[in-house]
Amino acid sequence: MIQFKVVNHALTVGQIEILGVSSASMFQIGDTDYVTLNSMFDTPPESVIVGPMAPLPLPGGGQEEGPANAE
Amino acid sequence: MQNKLYPDDTHPIRTARIGAVCLIDVSSSGTVQFGDRGETNAKLRAIALQRQEDHTTAGDVFYESYRIFDRDLPELVDPEYADGQGVHIERVNADPFITVGYIHVTATGAASSLLCGNCMRVNSESRIMHIRQYPRPRPIPGAFC
Repeated sequence: MIQFKVVNHALTVGQIEILGVSSASMFQIGDTDYVTLNSMFDTPPESVIVGPMAPLPLPGGGQEEGPANAE
Repeated sequence: MQNKLYPDDTHPIRTARIGAVCLIDVSSSGTVQFGDRGETNAKLRAIALQRQEDHTTAGDVFYESYRIFDRDLPELVDPEYADGQGVHIERVNADPFITVGYIHVTATGAASSLLCGNCMRVNSESRIMHIRQYPRPRPIPGAFC
């Protein structure tokens, strides 16, 4: 077993500027034991649908993308 | 010469000491906390839909129609950890404070976390389906049609 020993000495920061903390992400000043972050973002080229406006799929269809008449 | 900070003068936890925080926007279900927290379980599922159609005629959108929302999360394959041979971490805090003078945050997204303090466990998950749907543009007629 790997023994990992950390000695935290003085930590002083003057200023932090953040433009954005995105979805399901975190910004922390402090200590933590476990961090698990998962993110899925699905926008394949097929998700751009240019054609006749069709209704979006109903539940149970199991379609991965939008309507079947995508071009 | 013995170091007087270690191991005699250690601290079980560190305290965040912050001068000022300027936070402009916290989006839906985002959290801002000053203090310690035991466990975080943040979850976001969203359908980002751009349609050139009126809401009254566009119909409903269902999460169940897209597999991204019930797809299993990837598992970490670590045979050594499974055998109980993981990494044992020992932390020693020689200084009782984490000091930050000023924090400026413009925006935090949905289901995000801004924490000034300690936390034991963070589990965060976001699933976003992005769809864009536009009608076909009408062809422009020629000059002598």
